[in-house]
Amino acid sequence: MRSLPRSAAAGSFARSLSRLLRSGGLMAAVVLYTLYSALPFAWVGTMSVRTTSEISAAHFAWPETFHWDKFRTAWVDSNFAQYFWNSTVVVVSAVAIVTLLGAAAAHCLARYNFRGNRLVYFVLFSSIVFPPQIILISLFQVLVEYDLYNSRLGLTLVYVSLQLPLTVYLLEGFFARIPQDLFDAAKMDGYSDLEIFWRIVVPVGMPAIATTVILNFIQLWNEFLFAVVLLSDQDARTLPLGIRAYMGDYFQDIGMIATGMMIAVIPVVVIYAFFSEKLIQGMTAGAVK
Amino acid sequence: MAAVHLEHICKRYRGTAQPAVDDVSLAVRDGEFMVLLGPSGCGKSTTLRMIAGLESISDGRLTIGGRQVNDVPAKDRDIAMVFQSYALYPHMTVADNLAFGLRRRKVPAAEIDARVRSAASVLGLGALLERKPYALSGGQRQRVALGRAIVREPKAFLFDEPLSNLDAALRVRTRNELVRLHKQLDATMIYVTHDQVEAMTMGQRICVMNNGRVAQTGKPLDVYRSPADAFVARFLGNPPMNVLKATVAARDGRPAARLAGGWLPLSRWDGAGLPDGDVLVGMRPEEVVLQEPRTTAEGLRGTVCGVEPLGAETLLLVELEGGAGEVTARVHRDVALAVGDEVGLGVAEAGIYLFDAATEQAIAAKEEQPA
Repeated sequence: MRSLPRSAAAGSFARSLSRLLRSGGLMAAVVLYTLYSALPFAWVGTMSVRTTSEISAAHFAWPETFHWDKFRTAWVDSNFAQYFWNSTVVVVSAVAIVTLLGAAAAHCLARYNFRGNRLVYFVLFSSIVFPPQIILISLFQVLVEYDLYNSRLGLTLVYVSLQLPLTVYLLEGFFARIPQDLFDAAKMDGYSDLEIFWRIVVPVGMPAIATTVILNFIQLWNEFLFAVVLLSDQDARTLPLGIRAYMGDYFQDIGMIATGMMIAVIPVVVIYAFFSEKLIQGMTAGAVK
Repeated sequence: MAAVHLEHICKRYRGTAQPAVDDVSLAVRDGEFMVLLGPSGCGKSTTLRMIAGLESISDGRLTIGGRQVNDVPAKDRDIAMVFQSYALYPHMTVADNLAFGLRRRKVPAAEIDARVRSAASVLGLGALLERKPYALSGGQRQRVALGRAIVREPKAFLFDEPLSNLDAALRVRTRNELVRLHKQLDATMIYVTHDQVEAMTMGQRICVMNNGRVAQTGKPLDVYRSPADAFVARFLGNPPMNVLKATVAARDGRPAARLAGGWLPLSRWDGAGLPDGDVLVGMRPEEVVLQEPRTTAEGLRGTVCGVEPLGAETLLLVELEGGAGEVTARVHRDVALAVGDEVGLGVAEAGIYLFDAATEQAIAAKEEQPA
């Protein structure tokens, strides 16, 4: 059997090595980033079943005993059940309203050529630029005036106003790419504007809508600043405020903070798992014709 | 089926001085296949959309089946449209796409099912009813779009460049299928295209549009043989008609057109009816014949500046003497000429067209003038 000439063999080896380095390098980068993202989460997970004194003695140790009763303590004794319910009511309501209003507004801005269309879009878009903190005091005063301070309804309305501009901005871009012919065809089929919105725009735009649902849910579920300013009663607290209660001026109950965080993260994981396929579709929609 | 009549239809958009559609009058007979042909921006799609009810009509009168429909919503005009992009609902199966319009009209479920199956059978979609549009080829999507129109059993079908997105081979096949479908359904069809091959092969009559106006309406071959103006003459025909500036003069007592590159006889025209001075002379590439460059009394002389062998024939591009312009001639595939060769070109008198230099309107020959 004839062997390869020396130069050809060297070239083949170089190509194989280059391929190995490229795929190995890529794999190394993926592993590193996964560790960077997942390790802190895993660490909080381990701390959630360890006591604060165990954590103080050895910060990163694997639990010797799994203190599952901490979750019961947080849920019952520390009133996390109530906080979880408050967060659920406020965030689910806010996300539902934002999604409905945002999708409808985005559809109108993307599809109808009315006077002031671009002005409305610009006003909505420009409100994204400003940090929400600058409206905090004004919001406080408005809610007090309308008896909405320290209420779930008040916080829900604030969350809707905070997330609506970004939602409209994201959806408007996607909806504008839906071909006009689809709407013309539906019009000729006899459907009204509202029916076209429900039967065509919402199903076709579901990847983008799912994206905004996930982003809004994650943002609002973890929202702390507006909640701490606009809620004062203990029973009205949302989960982030409940976790905050474990932080004193001189002592922080690290173990219970970690337990509270694990309780808080479960719905986010569920929502993401449920909508993630649509999220990826939404992110890549239009990338390839 | 029904006749569609457009009477002095205009469409003006706010902020533009020039109307997109300007005084268009057209009578499409019941069961006729009418093609609206023209370049991009000529107003043909806008006209079609006004017929469909997707655009409002600024002026004029539109009737379908004898009923004025200017202010009638699109859904109530009993018209079906096939779009260039097919406009299939991506989240619905083929069956649902076909049934969508019927469900809105509260057609009984059994009848919807029957119509869907019938259309699917006619168009060969039976095995595809449960697929979604993303799982279909271009040709299959086109047939679903067609099926969606057929199940409506409308008074007229409108087509907005439906074959543009298909490859060449599929376009030819689908073209023939549409012609067959027209015969089968005996339907009134109005078809918009910029492709003259589609217009010539599919239309019973064609309406050539330019700058929002109707340039000419008639049977395809009639329009091809007797173009009303230089625009229609150039637009129909591939390669387009050669149109050259010339001066009317007398030669041996007969009217003739003098170009820098030679003479062309105008015996078919009444000398008294010819304008003084400049005219436009037209000749189709297939009418141009080669002749000896130095010995011809009549004809044109020039130099070959391009040779395009197409296989079945060859196209010669000839730069005429004296800067008179460029002429494209369709010659036999075995003609052995190269760039730089001197050639003589002749045209039979029957192949010469004449247009007014200012208005570009065709000047009728003696035999074409009314008695």
